[in-house]
Amino acid sequence: MIKYAFPLALLLAGCGDGPALPDLKPTDGWARETVPGQTSAAAYLTVINNGTGADRLIAVSSDSAANAMVHSTTTSNHGVSRMRHLGDGLAIPAKTAVELSPGRTHIMLTGLKQPLRRGQKLTLDLRFEQSGTRRAMVKVLDPASAGLQEAR
Amino acid sequence: MVRQVRILLWLLVLLALGALAFLALRTTEPSPGPNPSAGAMTLGGPFTLVGADGQPFSSTRLNGRPYAIFFGFTHCPDVCPTTLARMVRLRNQLGQGSGAFDIVFVSVDPERDGPREVGAYTQLFGSPVIGLTGSSAQIAQVKKQFGIFSEKVADGASGYTVDHTATVLLFGKDGKFDSTIAHEEQDGAALDKLRRITA
Repeated sequence: MIKYAFPLALLLAGCGDGPALPDLKPTDGWARETVPGQTSAAAYLTVINNGTGADRLIAVSSDSAANAMVHSTTTSNHGVSRMRHLGDGLAIPAKTAVELSPGRTHIMLTGLKQPLRRGQKLTLDLRFEQSGTRRAMVKVLDPASAGLQEAR
Repeated sequence: MVRQVRILLWLLVLLALGALAFLALRTTEPSPGPNPSAGAMTLGGPFTLVGADGQPFSSTRLNGRPYAIFFGFTHCPDVCPTTLARMVRLRNQLGQGSGAFDIVFVSVDPERDGPREVGAYTQLFGSPVIGLTGSSAQIAQVKKQFGIFSEKVADGASGYTVDHTATVLLFGKDGKFDSTIAHEEQDGAALDKLRRITA
């Protein structure tokens, strides 16, 4: 069987048209409502990559905030929570859905132009290394109930 | 004889270097309060902070009531709202109403969080949460009492973020420390603890 593996792999690779390309679709974006005075918020979403090529989320912008960037949250053994900018961006492997979820990864919006109100929608422009820019819709939800399933 | 003394001295030098290396390599992150070996009985105790109404808030207001206390900051968009929303949801799941235990939120960022900011922030969760802030000295004192670590860290456009202990501390009706709820802990275990302090 092993000796057929290589020709078989070649055959399968030959089925594709050209090089492996990412095929990205951002979906299920949401953020929590904020109150006046709160100038930052987190947005969560899933990036589905149906393609055979990997990509990388390298920058984000939004009309609703002065700045947007990819942040990750880590919690140490001592319970200390740290939020850091992912300077190298976020890998989006081929044939994978990458979920940004509470306590793990989020789009950090800073310098909010106005408080986010529940029911409102905002847009994020996600810039990917290979695929260029993709627009994501983000729904503003009630902070008391949003994201609790994802969090556990 | 001289040779033996020399060897002994070199051994002492090695020992001293080893000790220095040990001190230098030791983790610099303090281990925050919810550490049983630190003596759970010493956690908590009386404090005075500032309430959302701008008036002094004495911990005597919590006397005779179980409470869950969490330290965070209003510019914290991820862990803090996730934790507060979860505590509210767990309290709802207990089915004893919002008076079952108090949820207390203390800012570790008093420079940005005045009474108004913590007041507005704690309104977001659809159920009573006591928001507290204070002077830098008051916050430092309360952090020490509850074994909380926090540290400002520069963060590009937003100016700074705050690394902080995100563990919830639970106190019984008697005001004594009972247990903690960690960020990654399962709901079942957390509910067991809440049932215990509200029993």
